Amino acid sequence: MVKNIEFEVRGVSKFFPGVKALKNVSLVMEEGSIHALLGENGAGKSTMIKIITGALQPNGGDILRSGKSVQFIDPRDAIQAGVGVVHQERNLIPRFSIAENIALERSSQNLLRPIDFNQLVTEAKHWLSLLGMDVDPRMPVSRLSVAKMQMVEIAKALALRSRVLLLDEPTASLTPHESEALFLVLRKLRNEGVSMLFVSHKLEEVQQICDRVTVLRDGQNACNGLPMAGMDRQDLVRLMIGRNEQIPNLSVVKHDHAEPVIELDKVSTALGHRNVSLSVRRGEIVGLYGLVGAGRTELAKCIIGRFPVTKGTIKVNGSAVKIRSVSEAIHTHRIGYVSEDRKHEGLVLMHSILENIGIPLWRKIAGKTGLVTNSAVRTLTEPFIRKLEVRTPSLNQLVGNLSGGNQQKISVAKWLAAGVQLLIIDEPSVGIDIKTKAYLHELIRNLANEGAAILLITSDMPEMITLADRIVVMANYTVQGELVNSRSYDQVSEGIMNLIHLQEANSQKVTA
Amino acid sequence: MSKLNDYIQTDWFGPAVISLVAMLGIGLTNPSFLSPLNLNVLMLAIAISGMVAMSQMVIIAIGQMNLSVGAIGGFAAISFAGLMELHQMPAGMAVVIAMLIGCAAGFFNGWLIATTGISAFVITLASLSIFKGLNLGITEAQAYYGIPEGVKAIGNETLFGVIPVLAIPTALVVVLLWFVLARLPLGRNILAVGANSNAASLSGISVKWTVISAHVISGLLAATAGIMAVAHLQIGQPTIGDDWLLLSFAAPVVGGAVLNGGHVSVSATILGVAIVAIFNQALVLFRVDPYLVQVVLGGLILWAVGVNRWRETRAIKHTSKVA
Repeated sequence: MVKNIEFEVRGVSKFFPGVKALKNVSLVMEEGSIHALLGENGAGKSTMIKIITGALQPNGGDILRSGKSVQFIDPRDAIQAGVGVVHQERNLIPRFSIAENIALERSSQNLLRPIDFNQLVTEAKHWLSLLGMDVDPRMPVSRLSVAKMQMVEIAKALALRSRVLLLDEPTASLTPHESEALFLVLRKLRNEGVSMLFVSHKLEEVQQICDRVTVLRDGQNACNGLPMAGMDRQDLVRLMIGRNEQIPNLSVVKHDHAEPVIELDKVSTALGHRNVSLSVRRGEIVGLYGLVGAGRTELAKCIIGRFPVTKGTIKVNGSAVKIRSVSEAIHTHRIGYVSEDRKHEGLVLMHSILENIGIPLWRKIAGKTGLVTNSAVRTLTEPFIRKLEVRTPSLNQLVGNLSGGNQQKISVAKWLAAGVQLLIIDEPSVGIDIKTKAYLHELIRNLANEGAAILLITSDMPEMITLADRIVVMANYTVQGELVNSRSYDQVSEGIMNLIHLQEANSQKVTA
Repeated sequence: MSKLNDYIQTDWFGPAVISLVAMLGIGLTNPSFLSPLNLNVLMLAIAISGMVAMSQMVIIAIGQMNLSVGAIGGFAAISFAGLMELHQMPAGMAVVIAMLIGCAAGFFNGWLIATTGISAFVITLASLSIFKGLNLGITEAQAYYGIPEGVKAIGNETLFGVIPVLAIPTALVVVLLWFVLARLPLGRNILAVGANSNAASLSGISVKWTVISAHVISGLLAATAGIMAVAHLQIGQPTIGDDWLLLSFAAPVVGGAVLNGGHVSVSATILGVAIVAIFNQALVLFRVDPYLVQVVLGGLILWAVGVNRWRETRAIKHTSKVA
């Protein structure tokens, strides 16, 4: 059966000063299909998305909508051509109602015609019920969960009668359960003939839901609309990076005899943790697994003194301590925290690499002379920058201009330079491509082998199984249990799930 | 119980309770506070300051600030008075021209901010100096005294012996501005741009023209306040507007406005003005050193910001429980 072609990008090129971002790239989207667009960071994916949505104009090539050549001068043109986008960043107005957000494109145009909110509510109900969402459209968007906001964005795109829907990393902030619900909706839309472009880093999801795949590599088509059936993960990876994925064969090391760097004993915190006990030994990587909202990041923030511990004891190197501030955690106890939110908590994007890495060092350097000089910071940090192979023209480069992977290296290098003995790493590979991710894993392992204690927080099960020696499972701000990582995916993931569900069974007992 | 909770959640509830309690409390200790004359003076202050506060509030709604509200108001005021004294222009026409000057000044601000991308703080700081300089250049710091009797009469006239006539334009603007912000796409766009200009622009809203229209409205309201001040003072003082800035921020903030943009309340802003006016009046009544009024106003702002912050964190906790 030959399907109609809804949308086509034909031989498109895009130059930026000094860079050729896209070279003769094509993409064909059929009616009623989910098409994956894959590529490493820097492969030209974002440029492609911007061209499809009218945010950028190509230097050559054609865009065809239902076979007719079109030009998108700005996002409005794309909207009018029935190309809807669900952006990676949330694009809703929090205080506006769900209904008004869904209708915003149309209701905002005729400046002086009063808005009929009842009509917006009626329309919104239609789109929400199509997505199987049972919420009051009058409710402000700010009261919704992230997953529901995502659904509202899809409703907003559909309300424009979009037959072509572009989804840029739609599952980035969703739990596995919420992702499943989203996929159900996408499949339903596919059956109704909507043509979707699904952009994601998560290959498992892509394999699960997409019919065809187009891969970009170095600004060119590595493949163009291949059927997904019959492709396995390795095939996709080979297309993306041009070679096989190297799964680091990290040896299992026993750490039973190493002394613990940190021990938590029945700790309760102001954020609501109860009875949390865990320990990390020198040279060991302890994974902290749990679903979103389990309280893992929050626990990390209590350990580093950002929020108070109310009960229980924390021991560092065997002696009980009270960590009253982040400054104390860093300077007295040598604990570092690599935040999952690089842009807001981990780095100062507007400052240079040198200034970023220097922050935890300033006090140490200034202690001698009272002054901080760039050369002093440079001497201390350069070995680590070199060790982590940060790709940058100079240390004066602004961190905001680096790629996600290099930014992550800077966040780690910062703590290495500060000489921490315990490093808490929170979701290290968010927004990082496969090549860099593998490299980062090796790096974390090496750090541990050199004697650092590492507490790894990740929701990425393969990452957890690759790296951790022991896995502590959390749910609902308590520790559910602990298991030794046997490196067998099926066995460990089952063990983890059992521990998580143990809690659900318990809480049901409580509510009953 | 939940009904009461709903009221507590609104922006106007707190300020309304405070104004009522303050009026009753002061009235009981000093009955002359509730005399018709005093209430008239109070409402007159609220009328002019309310216009000033709404002029700033529109700009707060788009997440910016307008330091030039006073300078625009002052410039419009001396234009209004000057046109009548020097050119014998009929008052009605002078009002229209002064308002147009306000719109033009607002357009100048908005256009510069929207096209250059320079922060509103810097642009309006510069334009404050420009408008004030024009004002002083034209008047040579001398007041215009030739205000027609009709205008003076409007400035003094009352309805039923209590309500000043000058409260009428403010009341109209309150209703109109509420309607614009709650019902018209123009106002919704202003709030959308204030909340998240990127999202607004991706939804097809022109951020540039929304910013410009907000500044035009702000300039118009500031000019109106300037004209009202001339009618009230009975002279065209070049110093009109000099002391508006602090109050223009205080009232919307007391009324729960989010300084980052996206959320303002017209009714709560007017109540914010009322609170400031009541405090001022009370301090005069109790013969407190007028210089201390500034201290009280500053304290009021800090208190209001604190309350807003507290409500915000409470709201976040509340939503995280829902989600």
